[in-house]
Amino acid sequence: MTPRRLASLAWLATVIAAAIFLAWHAHRGLPLDTDLMALLPRESRESAVQKAGDAVSRTLTRRMLVVVGHTSRTEARAAALSMSDSLDATGLIEPEAASDAQEMRKLGQLYFPHRAGLLSEEDRVLLGAGRGEDLAKRALGQAFGVGGAGAGLVARGDPFLLLPSFLMQLPSPMPRVAWDDGLLSLSEGGKTWVLLVRSLAREPFALDVQEKLTAAYSKTAAALKAVHPGVELHRTGAVFFAEAGARTAMAEAATLGALSLGGTILLILAVFRRLGPLLRNVLAGLVGAGAGLAACLALFGEVHVLTLLFGTSLLGVVVDYGLHYSSTEFDPDAGTPSERLLSIMPGLQLSLVATLIGYVALTFAPLHGLRQIAVFSVFGLAAAFATVVLWFPTLDRGRRTRAAGWVLRAARQPFDFWQAGRWHLLRLGLLCAGAAVALVGLARIETGDDVRRMQALAPDLVREQEAIFALTGGKAGSEFLLVESADDETALRRQEAIRPILADLRAQGALAGALLPADFVPSAERQRENRLLVEGELNPRLAAHYAALGLGGARPVQVPSDPVPLTLDQATRSGALDALRNLVLAPGVHIGLLQGLARPDLVRGALSHVPGVQLVEPTSEISALFAKYRERTVALLGVSAALMLIPFAFRYGSVGAIWVMLPPVSAIVLTPAILSLAGVPFNFFHAMALVLVLAIGVDYSVFCAESKDADRSTTMVAILLAATMTLLSFGLLASSKAPAISSFGSGMLIGITLAFVLAPLASRRRTTFALRWRKAPKYGREEHGKRSLPWANVQ
Amino acid sequence: MTAIRTLLLSLAIFCAALSTPSSAETRPSGGQTALKDGQVLRGHFEQDRFLKGFDAPLKTGGSFTLVAGGGLIWRAETPFAVTTVMSPAGLVQEVDGKKTMSLSSTRIPFMTKLYSMLSGALVGHWSDLESTFKIARTGDAKKWEMRFTPIAGNDPAMPVEAIVVRGRRLVEDVVVMRSDGDRDHLRFSSQSLETAAPTSDELALLALAKQL
Repeated sequence: MTPRRLASLAWLATVIAAAIFLAWHAHRGLPLDTDLMALLPRESRESAVQKAGDAVSRTLTRRMLVVVGHTSRTEARAAALSMSDSLDATGLIEPEAASDAQEMRKLGQLYFPHRAGLLSEEDRVLLGAGRGEDLAKRALGQAFGVGGAGAGLVARGDPFLLLPSFLMQLPSPMPRVAWDDGLLSLSEGGKTWVLLVRSLAREPFALDVQEKLTAAYSKTAAALKAVHPGVELHRTGAVFFAEAGARTAMAEAATLGALSLGGTILLILAVFRRLGPLLRNVLAGLVGAGAGLAACLALFGEVHVLTLLFGTSLLGVVVDYGLHYSSTEFDPDAGTPSERLLSIMPGLQLSLVATLIGYVALTFAPLHGLRQIAVFSVFGLAAAFATVVLWFPTLDRGRRTRAAGWVLRAARQPFDFWQAGRWHLLRLGLLCAGAAVALVGLARIETGDDVRRMQALAPDLVREQEAIFALTGGKAGSEFLLVESADDETALRRQEAIRPILADLRAQGALAGALLPADFVPSAERQRENRLLVEGELNPRLAAHYAALGLGGARPVQVPSDPVPLTLDQATRSGALDALRNLVLAPGVHIGLLQGLARPDLVRGALSHVPGVQLVEPTSEISALFAKYRERTVALLGVSAALMLIPFAFRYGSVGAIWVMLPPVSAIVLTPAILSLAGVPFNFFHAMALVLVLAIGVDYSVFCAESKDADRSTTMVAILLAATMTLLSFGLLASSKAPAISSFGSGMLIGITLAFVLAPLASRRRTTFALRWRKAPKYGREEHGKRSLPWANVQ
Repeated sequence: MTAIRTLLLSLAIFCAALSTPSSAETRPSGGQTALKDGQVLRGHFEQDRFLKGFDAPLKTGGSFTLVAGGGLIWRAETPFAVTTVMSPAGLVQEVDGKKTMSLSSTRIPFMTKLYSMLSGALVGHWSDLESTFKIARTGDAKKWEMRFTPIAGNDPAMPVEAIVVRGRRLVEDVVVMRSDGDRDHLRFSSQSLETAAPTSDELALLALAKQL
């Protein structure tokens, strides 16, 4: 058995093993990740900020809201309860923390013993202004008024009814919503709206969680509309957005994959007019994509849906090698399949090495998702290369065809354009135009990495979310205040200190509200102050107060208020304040949730002088990270291009290497310039596209550089086919609904077109070695059968 | 919130009871219109509020005005002036002419149920009350008694244990027994059903609650 046959069989065994591995994963359910944030790096940010961001993110992403509205309160409640049962039945929902009654009882048990130290802000201001009389009158009004709201507390140790006042002003994440017979409800637009707030027991970015929950919601919603005519439902939550995003991405992947594959098939059939090249190239594509997927699963244990999307497009790239091989059959002097392969081996090997350098550069970006894409691409391309080199000559047993004349003529046009004398002026004009585009475009380039614009949110879900925010008044963003102190008491005092600042900011419209732990549990110092205010302003009025109640002679039973202040630890352990649990990360490390943050700059400025308090905007931080990595990617691009010069310098000499690198480098310089002139801000995903443009553009350059005069037409057929397919696959990404992917696609569309058009310039490198090259043997022809490194003969 | 719920539920039941004439034609069970649009029910009340822990009750006296489709004005005059006004938009309370409490119905969704009960009661529909209370009726058209007890026996969120309403042509006596052991005893007198429009003073008070 020859070494080549042995290698072919070994590769077959490897491919079979990878196929079995993939089948095993497919049987267990492909572990797909759909969280865009999972693509981001775990930078070594300040640990408290990161921990706080994670905590807020975890709470927000797992939360889901459903509102059910109807003109009939009874119908609204019945429909809401059906929806609640249906969602609970999925087994994906955390058990509800507390019902109305349980919450009230626990709140009473928590606060009542400490009531002397608990004052609403309004009562505190009144007492501070010496207006205790006002509070006494209010208590009398409640005691004698209709219904007797809270009147019983007059007799049970809260004669001025301060505790109901404190409870009434406790902040709520959704200020317009309150309990109504066990269900959170509100009235709006002549309808009763019941709000279901649920927390997912699992991560919302798992596909099975999304599908199960969305199916349960949709099925129940349809049934409710039939049973309760007029019922209106809205939903929001990361799980619904993620499901819609994943569905769109999967549909796009299927569509783009089908178009890419369909385009490839049609193109190959049109050019080669037989099935052999098509089947071989499909085989190379499938082996490449399969190997990429298997490598990702083996190394990461999962694969991100975006990696899959990029990977699907890789089908359009891995056929480069196969097409280059297949196109050699158009050379009338071509020999046996093995000889034809050997004749293009220098180009294939050089382009593989250079392309791998390009992809490996991606792994330097510490972005989890990019590493996945890099691994997918490196293994995919290497597998496609191995398939072409080891299997194609053996499989290529059919008759050879002659290329249609128009194909060869069309393919040769770029070469002619860059070399024929009659195009000299036009070339010069284009060169000047290119330089002008580069100068003007790069001079006015704008960047934009706002992550909020990178995600395609389903418009219907956005409308539903806005409807829920408008109804509930709870527009909680991901922004928050991080309060860091040595202990809880200091943290609570800091929050009390910033309350007036936040009130001013609210008055200015900088934010709609804030939820701070100190709102639920005042600092011990504040509780002591409150107690002194009550003792100083209200206790002297007690006798007169009882007299006004007509109880002068009566002896009311007094339940003494606990002189020990209520602590945050007591409150969090009580289970009475579910909201508080998410606001206290550790002793002294608290979160203040902000609602409706409109002017982060004002908030940041107003709090800049307050020690231990900072505004954290995770979305802005992620956008900043994207910007940072865009810069890093562009730098890596330069490094990659420089590294690629090394193998080329060995092969073509230093000047020749520059000629070979000129087309791809021009493409990656002109692409952002053109985007800039088109008014498109350059972002991280454009930069990512440029990495691929460089890698693929180098392929084209090398193929042109390696092409002899007689082979130009067949070489350009291969490049034309490869470029067309790459544009079919990557260019189609420009039509994606996801702005991030669309950016990537548009970068590829422009870059690959430029790389293709400019590729023949690389053939000029031969001027350096023109004489020696002409004397060099034609690989696989004069020296067929020899297996030495082809480029060793050049020198 | 429990205190507010107590207030609103008590108020709803009070209004329902208040608007229930006792004639055979308009008894609650008959489901006929009790208070027609444009009618105003006026009268006086005396209230004894028994609070657990106090030996003596809090005694209040005053007047009330119930305007069909408008709302309720409840004025305590002794021992001092407390005015409570309720409209579909919410509830306002004043002590000595100074506003001490205001509750918007959008802030307190239970108000929706309250209005449903109130408006139902005004036209003799008891379905909303019946969804919360068991209603036992005894007596005849000349002298009757209705006892409301919560359907959910051990619901800690229900502030009312039982309500007993007695009357002849109109409601004369209401006892509200709360779950916490407190109770209110209301006696009504000098009641009159009028068709004259509310006074400007009454309209101004109703407008206060509508502005919430």
